[in-house]
Amino acid sequence: MSHLRDDDLVLHYYGEDGPRLVEVERHLQTCAECAIAYQALTRTLSAVTPPEFIETTPLDDLWALRQMLRDRAGSRARKVSARFVALVWLVPLLYPLSLPLIVGSGRLAQTQILAAPLVVLALAWACAGPFVAAFALNRAAVDFEWLSSRAFAGGAMVAAATPGLYLLVARLLPGLAWWYAALALAALASLAPWPSTPRSTRNILVVHRLSAAVITIFALTHIGNQLVGFVSESAYAAALTFLREGYHQAIVEWLLLTSAAVQIVSGATMGMKKVRPGAWTDNFQAISGWYLAMFLITHVLAPGVLNPGATPAPAAVIAATQFNLLATARGAASLPFLLLGVVAFLYHVGTYARLAALAYLAEAQVRRLSYAAVFAGTSVVVTLALALCGVHLIR
Amino acid sequence: MTDSDLDVFLSLIERHRRYLYNLALRITGNEQDAKDVVQDALLNAYLHLEGFENRADLRTWLNRILVNCAIDHLRGIRRRPDMYEPQPITDVAETVASSTPDPERLVANADWRRQVAAVMKTMSPLERVTFVLRHFEGRSIAEISETVGIGTNAAKQHIFRAVRKIRLALEPHWSGR
Repeated sequence: MSHLRDDDLVLHYYGEDGPRLVEVERHLQTCAECAIAYQALTRTLSAVTPPEFIETTPLDDLWALRQMLRDRAGSRARKVSARFVALVWLVPLLYPLSLPLIVGSGRLAQTQILAAPLVVLALAWACAGPFVAAFALNRAAVDFEWLSSRAFAGGAMVAAATPGLYLLVARLLPGLAWWYAALALAALASLAPWPSTPRSTRNILVVHRLSAAVITIFALTHIGNQLVGFVSESAYAAALTFLREGYHQAIVEWLLLTSAAVQIVSGATMGMKKVRPGAWTDNFQAISGWYLAMFLITHVLAPGVLNPGATPAPAAVIAATQFNLLATARGAASLPFLLLGVVAFLYHVGTYARLAALAYLAEAQVRRLSYAAVFAGTSVVVTLALALCGVHLIR
Repeated sequence: MTDSDLDVFLSLIERHRRYLYNLALRITGNEQDAKDVVQDALLNAYLHLEGFENRADLRTWLNRILVNCAIDHLRGIRRRPDMYEPQPITDVAETVASSTPDPERLVANADWRRQVAAVMKTMSPLERVTFVLRHFEGRSIAEISETVGIGTNAAKQHIFRAVRKIRLALEPHWSGR
């Protein structure tokens, strides 16, 4: 047996080396070098003792404790303020107004480059939903016993998913009247009692991650193909033609469809579990999940997607439509939808990757990698935005 | 929630209050933070008491809530530069090396305790929590991963890093630097 590593010695000290316990002990009796290292570890760790157990604590004043719990529980369980409910529902109500602005500013920017910031502003408005939802959820606690709280939670979900929901409704039932009817229906539905989250979601999480792995491979390929579109439309069309050979196979389509369904169902069971005021990361994780669920539904139901047997549109035609989104209000609706989809995907997967990395790397290293990932992700989103607005390296 | 719910809750936690406070104290290292963490944990437990139904062990459930509140609290402190001023680990090591040379008397020495507390402050919240649970509380790594909600491998890595920091700062003392 070779020399023991420091981590092996730590596990042995705590009796956590499992089946290797006897083997390690035997090694320590025969290897002087490891025995000295183990002795040093033991000496240090045994000198690190806990503070003495305190019998009289500040919580012994039961009256004060009772009062504290009553006051703080009362303030937590208050109804959500009407301004937060109004704020989240304003997002979907005003969303359709942002689309003509995107088209108008886009046309202006084609002749006057100085108008480009207007496109960015209009796009920022259209993409504001998830951020408004995050802002509101960080300030107001959701307690499903209250109607106002349920209206707020439903509004936050709709606000977060607005670009996807709008596109879906517009495809199924074109016209603004249907959009507002759908919103009224969603508002009414949110007032009904919400199902409670299962106590343990460990197994659900495993299934969620497995199906996410399938979707991630597909999504990364897709994003890569879109990035190729920044070079030129023809390069995008060539890459798409090649990739279609793979993902238009019936088995791949069914695998993707099943994974998407599993993602949505498993995500829905956990969707509200970690949402709470002040928890930015968890709230954004939930919001990006809600958005991705709507994105997957809208994407799967789009014409030409997952339609076994149908002849797909030529790649060149798709490229011409895909990279000319500023031409019409209908096309403009796809711009926030796609960009937020990429942002939500990168955030959702990135947050999980960060947690996984913490198991293997030091926190400072993970932080540095996170900064690099944020930079890379932002570059991807900006490049995609330029490509989708018709900006290419080669025309 | 009514007053009688609150009375039921208070009687349920009666036997665990001191234990929870002491655990919070070990994790946070000071009385005010420990008090805040226990108050947050008890409030969360009270608000989610219905979620406890059919669970086997109240203390395990309360522990899990307290540990997560402690992690949130420590993260909050690290985000506030006015409250988070850890001594660099090299400074802690130097203080240790120059302090009293009698190892047997160290454990009872207030200065030594301060040095241990200073090393603990250099740990990240997860390193600190996993180390306290393993080293002070004698919990198994499997239990720790369950309580904190991380994988066993991640729990091990946090403990390894915490022990490395302890050794880096305190071992110079034994080697007679």
